Amino acid sequence: MKKYTVYAVALALMLATSANAQIIKADVQVSGLTCSMCQLATEKALKSLDFVSDIKPDLNKNVYEVTFKKDKKVNLDQIKNKVKGAGFSVSKLIATVNFNDVKVSNNFQYKYLGDTFYFVNVPSKNLNGSIRITVLDKGFIPDNTFKKNVAEIKAPGYKTGQVAGTRVYHVTI
Amino acid sequence: MFLVMCTRTMAQELYVSSEPASNMPRNSIGLRLTAEVMPGKDLGLRTIPEAMIGITKNLMGHSTLYISDLHQKTQKIEGFGFYAKYRFISIDSLHRHFRMAAYGRYSSIKNPTYTRNFSGRALDEINLEGDNSGLQGGIVATQLLHKLALSASLNYNHAFNNSGGYDLLPGQANRGFAYTFSAGYLTFPKVYTSYKQPNINVYLEFIGKTNVGSAKNYLEAAPALQVILNSRTRIDVSKRFQLYGNMQRMTKNMFLFRIEHTLFNVF
Repeated sequence: MKKYTVYAVALALMLATSANAQIIKADVQVSGLTCSMCQLATEKALKSLDFVSDIKPDLNKNVYEVTFKKDKKVNLDQIKNKVKGAGFSVSKLIATVNFNDVKVSNNFQYKYLGDTFYFVNVPSKNLNGSIRITVLDKGFIPDNTFKKNVAEIKAPGYKTGQVAGTRVYHVTI
Repeated sequence: MFLVMCTRTMAQELYVSSEPASNMPRNSIGLRLTAEVMPGKDLGLRTIPEAMIGITKNLMGHSTLYISDLHQKTQKIEGFGFYAKYRFISIDSLHRHFRMAAYGRYSSIKNPTYTRNFSGRALDEINLEGDNSGLQGGIVATQLLHKLALSASLNYNHAFNNSGGYDLLPGQANRGFAYTFSAGYLTFPKVYTSYKQPNINVYLEFIGKTNVGSAKNYLEAAPALQVILNSRTRIDVSKRFQLYGNMQRMTKNMFLFRIEHTLFNVF
């Protein structure tokens, strides 16, 4: 019985619940395009995602401010794939996340609805309120930046994006 | 005045007389109508309706119908064709990209293979877009540098006998290369404020052909003006004219008008 209690507590501690954090919106910068027709194609592709509620484009900086629905899981990979499907690439993704008293430190792992967010290069701090976090994974930064990062970021699953079958996003503040 | 306009999906690389290495977004459909007006004793008109589909992010296909009055007094459906393009290199950075694609075309045309109005002069030029049945394979590379897009392509054309009993004439050329070099520039707007702003692109393209096994070749220039409305409808106007050459061609001068509309997320 004691063994099971230990396991239950450990499990509860490991599964920092998504009730303590919610992804509100994301600034998605798209590369490979200049004209507004390409931007419209990309915006329409992103709008077809079921967790997207609104998109505000900056046609000169090629950045989309994407606002998410409160009741749906935000899937960052699907955002990346929609941009690729339109013919372009994500060069930067900064997510605005509402944290409710989550203590982070370097190499801290936060579980969000089946995915893991692995904090890289962050000091120990308590996250409360709206925090902007930048995704560092392949497909969310320019390819040459990713190649450079692979040598420098030694976090598990950075090269493949997976650890033991779970999707891991590597983020920084 | 014709307002037949044609658009592609990549702004200043939406070349009028060639195809860029970029693709349409997947799940989108493009509808295009081209009119080629050929000056001469009788004004010749070829009309080309085309449907294009973005299948995956790397693969797109077109199907095309060819209609003209070049060999008879009335407009007649000359034949049809299919085109597919596969993008195999795509390198993106801010306001820039480099793309390469391979493409192929198949055409089936029921026309005599000589120049207009039963002249009896065998065409030297192999043109799979309305004059010849045949197969084409080629590659294209496009470089976008902010508002300027540069592109070069090379393809090989193999003409078959045309359908309807219209065989190639004895000694008529059936193999040749075509090459294009294109530059497009986004002139307006200088700064974007909305999707509704019209975009204006100017193009200068060079198109050349050389037959295999003979010294026949030509080079032509094709300046063009393009307007994009509402970020999804395009209108192109171009004049193509020969700079030099020794080929018997259907025409050495042509006005081209095109309109194209893109439907996003269709399937």
